[in-house]
Amino acid sequence: MFSTELVVQTFISGTMIGVLYALMALGITFIYSIMRMINWAMGEFYMIGSYLQYALVALLLGPDLWWLAIPISAAGVFLFGLVVQWSLLKPIFRKPPEARDDYATVVTLALLLLLRSLATGLAGPNQFSPGSDLPVVMVGPLPMAGARVAAFVFALVALVLFYLLLRYSWYGLALRATSQSRVGVQTAGIDVLGVDRIAFGIGVALAGLAGALLAPVFLVYPTNGLITTVKGFEIVVIGGLGSIPGALIAGVLLGLIESFGAAFIDSAYQNIYGFALVLLILALKPTGLLGERGREA
Amino acid sequence: MPLALETIRLVKRFGGLLAANDVSLAVEHGEIRGLIGPNGAGKTTLVNLVTGVHPPDMGDVKLGGQSLRGCAMHEIARLGLVRSFQVTRLFGNMTVSENLMTSFFARRNRATGDGTKQIGNMLELTRLGPLADTQAKKLSGGQRALLQMACGFMVPGSCYVLDEPFAGINPVIKDAIIDMIVDVNRRHGATFLVVSHEMAIVRRLCRQVTVMMEGRVAAQGTLDEVARLPEVIAGYLGKALE
Amino acid sequence: MRGQELLLAGAIVAGLATAGLPAAAQDIGIGLVVPLSPPGDPVGGQLIRRGAELGVETVNAAGGVLGGRKFKLYVEDSQGKPEAGVAAYRRLVSEDKVVFVPGFFHSSVAIAANEVANEMGVPTMSLQASAADITAKHYEVAFRTHVVDPVRVSAFMEFIKQKNFKRVSMIAETTDYGIGIADETIAQAKKMGGIEVQKVPFDRTVTDLTPQLLQIKAFKPDLVINIGVGQPLDLIIDQATTIGLLPNTPMLVSYDAPVRPQYWKLHPKNGAGIYFIAYFSPKAPLSDIGAAFSKAYVGKYKEDPVYGALNGFGAIEIISQAINAAKSTDPKALIKTLETGTFKSWPSNPVTFPRAKGVYWHNWSAPVLILHYTKPMEDWKEAEVAVQYAPVVPKD
Ligand SMILES: Nc1ncnc2c1ncn2[C@@H]1O[C@H](COP(=O)(O)OP(=O)(O)O)[C@@H](O)[C@H]1O
Ligand SMILES: [Mg+2]
Repeated sequence: MFSTELVVQTFISGTMIGVLYALMALGITFIYSIMRMINWAMGEFYMIGSYLQYALVALLLGPDLWWLAIPISAAGVFLFGLVVQWSLLKPIFRKPPEARDDYATVVTLALLLLLRSLATGLAGPNQFSPGSDLPVVMVGPLPMAGARVAAFVFALVALVLFYLLLRYSWYGLALRATSQSRVGVQTAGIDVLGVDRIAFGIGVALAGLAGALLAPVFLVYPTNGLITTVKGFEIVVIGGLGSIPGALIAGVLLGLIESFGAAFIDSAYQNIYGFALVLLILALKPTGLLGERGREA
Repeated sequence: MPLALETIRLVKRFGGLLAANDVSLAVEHGEIRGLIGPNGAGKTTLVNLVTGVHPPDMGDVKLGGQSLRGCAMHEIARLGLVRSFQVTRLFGNMTVSENLMTSFFARRNRATGDGTKQIGNMLELTRLGPLADTQAKKLSGGQRALLQMACGFMVPGSCYVLDEPFAGINPVIKDAIIDMIVDVNRRHGATFLVVSHEMAIVRRLCRQVTVMMEGRVAAQGTLDEVARLPEVIAGYLGKALE
Repeated sequence: MRGQELLLAGAIVAGLATAGLPAAAQDIGIGLVVPLSPPGDPVGGQLIRRGAELGVETVNAAGGVLGGRKFKLYVEDSQGKPEAGVAAYRRLVSEDKVVFVPGFFHSSVAIAANEVANEMGVPTMSLQASAADITAKHYEVAFRTHVVDPVRVSAFMEFIKQKNFKRVSMIAETTDYGIGIADETIAQAKKMGGIEVQKVPFDRTVTDLTPQLLQIKAFKPDLVINIGVGQPLDLIIDQATTIGLLPNTPMLVSYDAPVRPQYWKLHPKNGAGIYFIAYFSPKAPLSDIGAAFSKAYVGKYKEDPVYGALNGFGAIEIISQAINAAKSTDPKALIKTLETGTFKSWPSNPVTFPRAKGVYWHNWSAPVLILHYTKPMEDWKEAEVAVQYAPVVPKD
């Protein structure tokens, strides 16, 4: 019953989906680490990314240029993120930090509802698929949709680019510094609200990228960001809020646990395994696998 | 020629507490001014008002004759007014070099180049060279104070506001910091406002000191002049010299 | 001039007051509870809604019921969630004063709503929900015009027998519908003998079903029965294709989702070869009102009506005939009339709701078909009829 082939296949499929979950978690954790707020509307940015991808492929570029549509969709979500930060969040962050968290929660929750109803209003409740002409690829013993492999590869590329940006660019320096002391960077002459804007844009663009990549695999509809967001938050708790390596490790871990749980324990409870892990982590190490001990910068 | 730094009748209230009460201060170009006073006198509040951390309830701050009203913290820093904190605000997970680089980039200009030369200079001046790739959070308190000072000196500012730079630091590092202040003051003609309780250092550095008590400017003059004033002795120095 | 204007305004107001209000007071409220947003199946709900709306238009255009009273349709969204469906039923009965609540696409919603209906007394009619409990509890208020699980599963068995399949896998969502069908299939397969059955359950909210499908692939089945509703159904088709389960292993979809225009948009390449349950084929004869409805539907929506729309229309027709026969809108009288009368809906065979045994209580359904898409982008009306199964209603 437990054939090696099934184990290897389950391992591969869990890892591949885990990396895509990690993309989502990375966005949440990155925005938190810079702005010290949680963006509850993350799933809606995923949703926008998937709709952009669908619209570009189905209406504008055609299925052959799907690879071009992906960076365009992510860039579209990035720009939208800049607008959201500028119009909704910046006014909150101008004020002293006391109730900032609560305001940010209310604003992003309102944004979540608004964007969802907007999607339903504009495109209807039906699901769409941008389709994919990519052939099925053998990953070891596991046949995989070309679109899924492409999503995995794009996600890895995005993660590497993200790392290079943080590590080796001037903006990366400013972003890392801001995550450690918002007052410190301002003293150094850095416009912290400008850093917020870029950080929010990049964070939601990661979600948008995940949405665009997964559009042909998990379909496009108004609430398609929900489940990925839930996974994203689970990963953030498992990996530690604010920890970027934590998000990556926990993402893959969650993908594996869900796959193996579904394949070898009981497939009906696939969503429960990750949640069980969350509870376990909260009990043993409340700050997550790689979370900082304290929350102060 | 306008004053290097001027505060005009600054008022700041925290709830019922008047933390800055009609504070007017005039610091000349190239001057190293001492700011002394008992704990809770409002020195840090004044520094925060000058550097844009808090907006004043009333009054204004002028840097080289230019009003800073409505300027954000980072804009004030880019105008050349650099500060240090009583509690250091370094980027703990970043290395010493990265901390210096971060302070360099936003304030750099055409004359400053890419910063490698300045980092070299600062590492040499602070003798932190061997620790260049160490995370700032692993430094000792004194080394942190040095690094914070060095961050401020990466791009020469026109005016420095230092909040208790010598508190809790061993004498060797104290001397290093004093040397840095004197060096920048001589070479670039930079102006300083230094908050400190260490009368020996204040006497060495500052020709003029300002005494704050209960949010007000209580006295001004040379350290010896103000030390003779009975209200200063009663309110502060009497205790400080005990 | 000024006086004239005032007079005119007064006349208009008076006219509205006398003509408008009494007419509105005479309207008969009909409630419709259907899923219009996820996690429900909004497409399924929308199609029923279209049929019901056209049904109300038709009845009203023909002069209404009881000599001139008009129907007014109140539509509520169940979101596919039992609690939302129950709240919708309560609102319809207590606030909108409706006399009849058809709809119900998701079985779990129908079952929950029937519990409340059993107390509040206004009859429900499940149009596309097939779990046994909807009628098996023998509630006075519970009616249904849809294929019940045993009948649907009997059609599966007919198909399995005909194709001589020996190993059958089911991927079933963990809802009343999914588990109900899966368990009934296991029971009937046991009775038939000689078949090995695998059941792989999954949570509806899961989007990556690869682990489940890998398990199925490892079982090496002759047939996979896709017991997902809405978006999971489509995800299963796509992900099964990916891991090479489709098209090598035949797949049977447990309801008529593939007749929807959306099907070929989502599965332009891997949609061919699928077998699916259907409740209507244009080859089967329609009643006169069914034909008229079909024409009106094509005129309005530029596509042929599918089963959901036909049943939505049928429910309105049936209740209008029942109200006229009962000469009343009283729920008790309506229930009595529905149980004893014979009505006309969209198919040519007559409609009855006898107090029959087990799940066949208050239940009427059109013949069950299994259709087969033999080529990509095939029109569902041209799909091959693989099985036609007429339900045998056990007599009391
Ligand atoms: N952000 C603040 N909110 C409320 N009270 C403050 C704040 N900052 C300083 N204070 C109060 O203002 C007074 C002056 O404090 P401070 O400027 O820190 O004094 P010093 O630096 O001279 O010791 C103190 O009573 C302090 O408690
Ligand atoms: Mg102080």
